[in-house]
Amino acid sequence: MTSRARTLVGFAVVAVALAFAPNIQEAFEFPRFYLIFLFTMYFWISQASSWNILTGYSGYFSFGQGAFYGVGVYTVGVLVVKQGWSFMAALPVAGLLAGLTGLFLGLVVFRVRRLTGEIFALTTLAIAFVLASLARLSTFIDGGTGIFTTGTPLPEYLGEFTTAAYRLTLAVALITVVVAYLIHDSRLGWGLFAIRDDEPVAEGLGVPTFRYKMVALGANALLAGLMGGVWALQLGFVTVDEVFNIRVPLFVILMSVLGGMQHWMGPVIGAVIITTLTDRLNSAGLADVNQIIIGGMLVVLALAVREGVYVRMRRRWLTTAITFFGVLGLTTVLDLNDSLISDFAYAMVATVVVMLVPDRVWALLRDVFRRSEPVEEQTEAEDLTRTGP
Amino acid sequence: MELLAQGIVSGILAGGLYALMSIGISLSWGALKIINLAHFAFVLFSAYIVYQLTVSFEIDPLLMVLVVVPLFFLVGVLVQMFFHLAKVDEFKSLIVTFGLFIILQSLMQTIWSADFRRIGPALNTYETESFFIGGIAFQLPQLAAFIVALLIAGGMWLIFTRTYFGKAVRAVAQDPAMARAFGIDSRRVAVILSGLATAFSALAGVFIAIGQSMFPELAVAWFGIVFPIVILGGLGNSLGTLVAGVIIGVAAGISSVLWGPLSAPLVTFLILIVALLFRPEGLITKRSIA
Amino acid sequence: MRPRRSLTYLTLITALALIVAACGDDEGGATTTLGTGTTMAPSTTQAGTDTTAGTDTTAASGEPIRVGSTLALTGVFAPTAAIHKATGEVFVERINASGGLLGRPIEWILLDDESAPDLAAAAYERLITEDEVDLVLGPYGTGNITAAMAVAQRYGYVFPHHTASLTYAYTYECHFSSWSTGLHPNITNPNLLYDSLESTGTPPETIGFVVNEFPGTQFISYGQPDTDEGGAVTEAEKRGWEVVLDVAYPIATSDWGPLAAQVRDADPDFLYIAGLGVDAPNLITAMQAIDYSPDGMFVQWPAPGPLLTTEGADGIMSVTIFEEHPPFTDDPEAVEVAGMIDAALTESGVPYAKVETQAAASWTAWEYLQQAAEGAGSLDQQAMCDYLIENGAQTLFHGDIEFFPDQQNYFEDLSKIKQVQDGEWYTVYPEEFAAPDRSVVFSPGG
Repeated sequence: MTSRARTLVGFAVVAVALAFAPNIQEAFEFPRFYLIFLFTMYFWISQASSWNILTGYSGYFSFGQGAFYGVGVYTVGVLVVKQGWSFMAALPVAGLLAGLTGLFLGLVVFRVRRLTGEIFALTTLAIAFVLASLARLSTFIDGGTGIFTTGTPLPEYLGEFTTAAYRLTLAVALITVVVAYLIHDSRLGWGLFAIRDDEPVAEGLGVPTFRYKMVALGANALLAGLMGGVWALQLGFVTVDEVFNIRVPLFVILMSVLGGMQHWMGPVIGAVIITTLTDRLNSAGLADVNQIIIGGMLVVLALAVREGVYVRMRRRWLTTAITFFGVLGLTTVLDLNDSLISDFAYAMVATVVVMLVPDRVWALLRDVFRRSEPVEEQTEAEDLTRTGP
Repeated sequence: MELLAQGIVSGILAGGLYALMSIGISLSWGALKIINLAHFAFVLFSAYIVYQLTVSFEIDPLLMVLVVVPLFFLVGVLVQMFFHLAKVDEFKSLIVTFGLFIILQSLMQTIWSADFRRIGPALNTYETESFFIGGIAFQLPQLAAFIVALLIAGGMWLIFTRTYFGKAVRAVAQDPAMARAFGIDSRRVAVILSGLATAFSALAGVFIAIGQSMFPELAVAWFGIVFPIVILGGLGNSLGTLVAGVIIGVAAGISSVLWGPLSAPLVTFLILIVALLFRPEGLITKRSIA
Repeated sequence: MRPRRSLTYLTLITALALIVAACGDDEGGATTTLGTGTTMAPSTTQAGTDTTAGTDTTAASGEPIRVGSTLALTGVFAPTAAIHKATGEVFVERINASGGLLGRPIEWILLDDESAPDLAAAAYERLITEDEVDLVLGPYGTGNITAAMAVAQRYGYVFPHHTASLTYAYTYECHFSSWSTGLHPNITNPNLLYDSLESTGTPPETIGFVVNEFPGTQFISYGQPDTDEGGAVTEAEKRGWEVVLDVAYPIATSDWGPLAAQVRDADPDFLYIAGLGVDAPNLITAMQAIDYSPDGMFVQWPAPGPLLTTEGADGIMSVTIFEEHPPFTDDPEAVEVAGMIDAALTESGVPYAKVETQAAASWTAWEYLQQAAEGAGSLDQQAMCDYLIENGAQTLFHGDIEFFPDQQNYFEDLSKIKQVQDGEWYTVYPEEFAAPDRSVVFSPGG
């Protein structure tokens, strides 16, 4: 079996397993909150991954995730709540409209050669503000009154609200990650990486840079909007200030940089780490300290792990697996915490801490354990643009 | 007509204050290649310190400049030394400084609570004062901020073009290795520059303190104003930043008066987008850095 | 008999009982475990002559009753949420000092929703399904309240809440608002103000509106969207006043100069600032800077403290439910509780440490919860809900409240008008609630 086929099968297995989470939750009487925790994670996995398709792969730094997310949220809000559409009909439209927004933006912006780097970033930010303004001014969209999405009827086959939200977010997150993976592993991906490294050279090599950038941007926008449409349900009350604020655009950056932007798994890992930590810290109720801890953690992680956590996890995969499952097993079996999520959090923190060990020290430790031939010092100068899985 | 004129004047002066808030980040980003989000927190923290000292010791808030500027210069120096030790690059700087920002914001909330703080007219006599020229009011706090921004912009331009230090900074920004080969102590240059940038942000904080009420979340509201100004003005270009600030302030002021305040963000950002499409390298082509 | 001696005996016995109560239980401090939230367990008790928890002066004991809620401890709503946190802590302490709820101490599990509705919804799911709290209380901020209410409704929890501005949207049968503005604050609130202006004999002829585009203030000014009901603006027109200015501004306005210029240009007799937080001080300062001051002003939902130190804000009016002066302070219990809350506010660093609308609404919401449980005699949500609807609540700061199901459980508008006079807030209208020797001060042109 080719490695691609293997990965896709892997996805399918994961998808099926996760799809049964609501059933498992009910059968084993886990708190329903676990589902909410999971689907919050799916939301961020999807947002970070879709963002990374553009920024991580092509190097065009986008501050505009909020714009596409916002279009998705408001499309559902307007079509479903104000115009009476069914949710399942409005959802694809949300993705579509967001995607079109992205393409429109690309048409305008990619044609201008010098619009790269921070200028491009600013333009994407500006788009978000313009859309927010439009939403405020237009009574058709919002006009300042906000939209109540609570009580939106959902199709019966999705189950009751929490289960429905879970299934929807899972579906979109899966789609997003699979798309990110497929792009990463394709000629399109290779082309995007080439663009990131040196666009003029890429063009010289025959990469259709404009087309590829448009695809990346379009994918980013569409997926962000799709997840935004789903999230409109969770928001309950949609307002311009809540939807178009800095939270989404900022956190997708943090999560992706943390996890690693070169590989499609990076944003996933980053999203998992940050959502788990913020969830557990929040539930500990230490609101002020909570923020300080997160801030400190961001600083430490960003400094200690150069190319993102995922790359290191991959390199030290055996240790990762042992640490993670070891701690998880210990905490669950010994029932050290009230919540499975806390068990998971501890396992994750332990793994991350192990990842923090700098490469040189790691090599030293391995040397000590091996005792045999000297280990070549593994540095971080890996070829991270390879397109293997 | 008077309404329009007042809107324009108000916009120009407000733009001066915005520019003052932005110069720190602009310098940091342009010369040091560090996107320092913590500057937002520095501005607000400085404002809070001005508030606290004014209220506790009942001194004129403007005198606080003598306190916060040196204090934050030092902070900037220390922060840059930390960045150097930790080998922070452009991308990572975003996360690291955001982490710093969160920590500082939390600190402010812990010390002063999340509720609104104002110095009050008893100690802050500048709040409602203005100069009047032909019926058009020039509000004192904003006017002062504008003048300071002008002085700084002018000063930085002079420094970058006329002094050895300035040339050293530009050299380091362009090509650090080469600069070092020529005997420039890039570390010292960076540290001083960071100190200056942070001191400028602290200065902006003083004017925030005498102009409005403060609360911890206020720093977040500035993201959307400062970034456009920074980029429009050209990274590291203080004069450009001032011009950009004024343009944005005036655009907001005019559209506010003509079409209502809700239209201001829309107009401002549309102008921004158009400007970027036609002049992506920023407003003033001749950047003072590189 | 000998009345005097029996009276003495009675007094002695009561005194003894009080002393026993005062030296009652002394439970531990807050505990924190990862995953269960900060628990506000009662610390030291306080002697109190309170009658809230009946006359049960035995100490609360047994398994704690867990009350879960979130507040915007960080984020844009944090300034006001701080007040709710302090007030809630006082309530919990007080009730635990006087026998608890149904004899058991209350444990308040408070989480931070960061001013975001999706986080609020997730937090309430956690509180209900993971922490398995017995009771819930609403968060602060319209969006957060809306999202949380949906969760409470899903699990059938009684949902008392405070200061949710979009009254028309709340149709859950077991929601109980402690912000007694009635179902149509967009009509009743402005009319209350306008009546108060007319009571001076010199009402305005022209009126100007500056409206924050926050949904709540939009609702008050223009009414529910897609209806003909109208709001402050149309109600003013009905009185024959000329609307010379009607302009909306973004929530995050940073340059108030242009708006101030527009107000000066329109020059209304009276300025209605449908704003929140520090909108009013900012706007007034900007107007002062261009040498302009309207003859009269009203601000919808201000942070009350900053206005007292804003130059040119003297005479500004607003709505209130309770203020710390007679006739509100004729009730000794209200005075006592207000004192406790003031102390808590000061301790938590809140600059304006006085009980007014927010703290009063917060306290009342807790009272709903308490009376529902006590009235139903259990923690059964449906029983509690039925009890409240049938019997209403007797509250310290709002008086007696009834819940009318056909009005979405709203009562009538209990708001009063207050005004800044001589550097302090005083209730001025209606007359029966006005502070001693205080009345509405307004005259156009003066």
